[in-house]
Amino acid sequence: MVFSDAEMAVFLDELEEKIQILTDNLLLLEQSGEDDPKVLQEIFRAAHTIKGSSAVMGFTKMSSLTHEIENIFDKMRNNELKPTSSLINVLFEALDALKILRDEIVAENAEKYDTTEIIAKLKEAVAGKDVSVPAPKTTQSATEEFTAEEIEKIREFDLKGYQLYEIKVYLDPATVMKSVRAFIVLQQLRELGTVIKTVPAEELLVKSEEFSDFTVYLASGEDVDRLQNILLTISEVERVEINPKQVEDNLEIKKEQPGEEEVKATEVEGEKTASPEKTLTDFKAKTPAAASGEEKKVTQTVRVDVQKLDTLMNLVGELVIDRTRLLSVIDKLYNINRENNELVETLAEVSSHIGQITTDLQDVIMKARMLPIAQVFNRFPRMVRDLAQKLNKEVEFIVEGKETELDRNVIEVIGDPLIHLIRNALDHGIEPPEEREKLGKPRAGRLRLAAAYLENNIVITVEDDGRGIDPNAVRRKAVEKGIISEREAEMLSDKEAIKLIFRSGLSTAQKVNDVSGRGVGMDIVKSQIEQINGEVQVESQVGKGTIFTIRLPLTLAIIRALLVEHQGQIYAFPLNFVQETLIAGKEELRKVQDYDVMLLRGKVLPLISLSNLFNLPEEQEQKEWYFVVILGTGNHRLGVIVDNLLGEQEIVIKSLGEYLGQVKGLSGATILGDGRIGLIIDARGILQENEIGELNVAV
Amino acid sequence: MAENLTNKSEAQIVIFTLNQQQYGVDIAKVYEIIRMTDITKIPNTPYFVEGVINLRGKIIPVIDLRKRLGMPEVERDKATRIIVVDVDGITVGMIVDSVMEVFRLNDVEIESTPSIINDIDSAFIQGIAIKDERMIILLDLNRVLKGEEKEALANL
Repeated sequence: MVFSDAEMAVFLDELEEKIQILTDNLLLLEQSGEDDPKVLQEIFRAAHTIKGSSAVMGFTKMSSLTHEIENIFDKMRNNELKPTSSLINVLFEALDALKILRDEIVAENAEKYDTTEIIAKLKEAVAGKDVSVPAPKTTQSATEEFTAEEIEKIREFDLKGYQLYEIKVYLDPATVMKSVRAFIVLQQLRELGTVIKTVPAEELLVKSEEFSDFTVYLASGEDVDRLQNILLTISEVERVEINPKQVEDNLEIKKEQPGEEEVKATEVEGEKTASPEKTLTDFKAKTPAAASGEEKKVTQTVRVDVQKLDTLMNLVGELVIDRTRLLSVIDKLYNINRENNELVETLAEVSSHIGQITTDLQDVIMKARMLPIAQVFNRFPRMVRDLAQKLNKEVEFIVEGKETELDRNVIEVIGDPLIHLIRNALDHGIEPPEEREKLGKPRAGRLRLAAAYLENNIVITVEDDGRGIDPNAVRRKAVEKGIISEREAEMLSDKEAIKLIFRSGLSTAQKVNDVSGRGVGMDIVKSQIEQINGEVQVESQVGKGTIFTIRLPLTLAIIRALLVEHQGQIYAFPLNFVQETLIAGKEELRKVQDYDVMLLRGKVLPLISLSNLFNLPEEQEQKEWYFVVILGTGNHRLGVIVDNLLGEQEIVIKSLGEYLGQVKGLSGATILGDGRIGLIIDARGILQENEIGELNVAV
Repeated sequence: MAENLTNKSEAQIVIFTLNQQQYGVDIAKVYEIIRMTDITKIPNTPYFVEGVINLRGKIIPVIDLRKRLGMPEVERDKATRIIVVDVDGITVGMIVDSVMEVFRLNDVEIESTPSIINDIDSAFIQGIAIKDERMIILLDLNRVLKGEEKEALANL
């Protein structure tokens, strides 16, 4: 059976979600050490869903692997197995195998990975403790389980006032083409409502002859009688049983009294009687997540192609430009037409309203492009666990602000630097438990990963309570590696010394291991973060721990910029690189070793004029004073001399077009209110390009 | 390419002038023809790149076709036009001396050997159309916009 791309995408999405649920809950299970029935249920269901959907899609290895996983949790649920650490390890291994299979399916739509070994392990794990407790296979309840999506659908329809029916259709056993009959029944039902699911699954139903009855879950506005009458008109339908099912919003209640929800066909809608033999276990499954307040609230979503969002964003960008233009036109009108202002005022009113709407629109679309950082954060608990185990360390890993939303472009890049920082914290920061005890610290180190909004930025912190960074060790290392001279090292404050870790070729770890390599880490972390217009800072205290703070913009498409004028053209400096602007008298400009510099608060500031930067003709006239824009990241600063400062403005970044590609010194262009083009200066590139070593000047 | 043009019975070309010579480009590749407008200069680009223009909210690079083809520069006047072309998704404006007309190619002879031309590099020429004793040089836009110069541009 060939599945469409859309079906495949749904399958993979679901798979992704379920694997995450498995990982999360397995970690929970390990931490609590108890077989919490809620957690077990959640895992069991996730495994069960994967098993089912992968079987439908024809991925047999995945299906049989999850079958074994499911078996283990089934045993745990029934108290026949205990979650020992060896068992958990086997389960994690199985999860890894599952991920490999997933990757293979994504990459080549095939399962190549050999699962025999891991399946054998799982079987062993099941059998190992199985012998003592004979498995009295309790009769599986006849009710079928719903997937999370199905439950969501059901709730959606419930909210709209539709009733969920469980319809059992009995065909005449002599029916020749049962699949066709089933198909006709489903067709009929689809005209009357929405089919949530069928048992057996529809895919099987329409190609098999091995059944004489089947169940359909239908959300419909019709009543029982009408459904029954219509179904019975279909030939060879022998008998139909229709049971309305009740969905309650309050899941807590359901968990405690699972028997209450069933409603017999004969009863008036809405009234309930207890019928313990047929329960709504299906809905119960939702309970653990909902009860524990996790992010699974029911939201209605539509999948949208990212390109469409990008286009929308561009269109809004145009609107933003026109809004600015409109404002400047109105300004001019005011000036021309001072007496009769009525029309102009109406225009101003309308334009201010349009401005407001544009701002809101921009906001909404920006938000639509955002994803919760959970996408990145979710993979860390498992990573931390594995690393800690490998390094023989104990760690309490705290994750905060998972729900914080970031532009998807930022999300794509931020994962790697975070991995580096977390690895470093575990490897170099947090001490082994014995050492910590001696120091009077708790055995388990504390590693905190948090994301939060701060002004127009997102701030991510990675914090540990480990050894901290020893500024002297960094100084020594930096001198040893020839990054700075001994004299320079002495002159650095502790804070400045610690910042040296962001220079390439510096790693203070004594041993090189496979956890945190050879000192190629931190400079890469820094440059990756700067790539998305972010910045990273470090604070550390020996013996107390280290905090890395990453500041990121909310979006990459619109930035605040400082506009300047130079030789009749307008340039925009991204504001996050502008430290300050100032006016310097010509006597303040000096030359040191062929470099233009000036002294700023006792420090040497290298200078370059925009003309030099862009090889524009040098202006001849000597000015009395100059405007200087000071760009900087961390310690490194550069003053850029420009003709005129114009002010700050929000600008939409546009590319210079494929024909020109990357132009040195520029990161794009923007269209200003008056229709002119402003060139956006690649501040980061210029800073790097013009990085001059520490100048040794007598001050 | 030249053969392709002759086979298409309804192929049309836009005719423009450069240095008193008539040139033509396939109308299918012409996006728009506009008057000379303010051009924002872009630093660190090849000599023939004039800069970028704002075409109704779109930023489009503009090249000086005289410079691109190695002809002497002239003062721009009222007749100067920018022909905005789109070749494989790459949009570029080309400054030309003037735009004359559009005409059909079906009743025109095409010569593919441009041996008689020495005004410009023959690499940029796709063929030559001759009609009523007029000679129109058909430009190979792919070469004009990409060619090796494009790579040199990328390496800058």
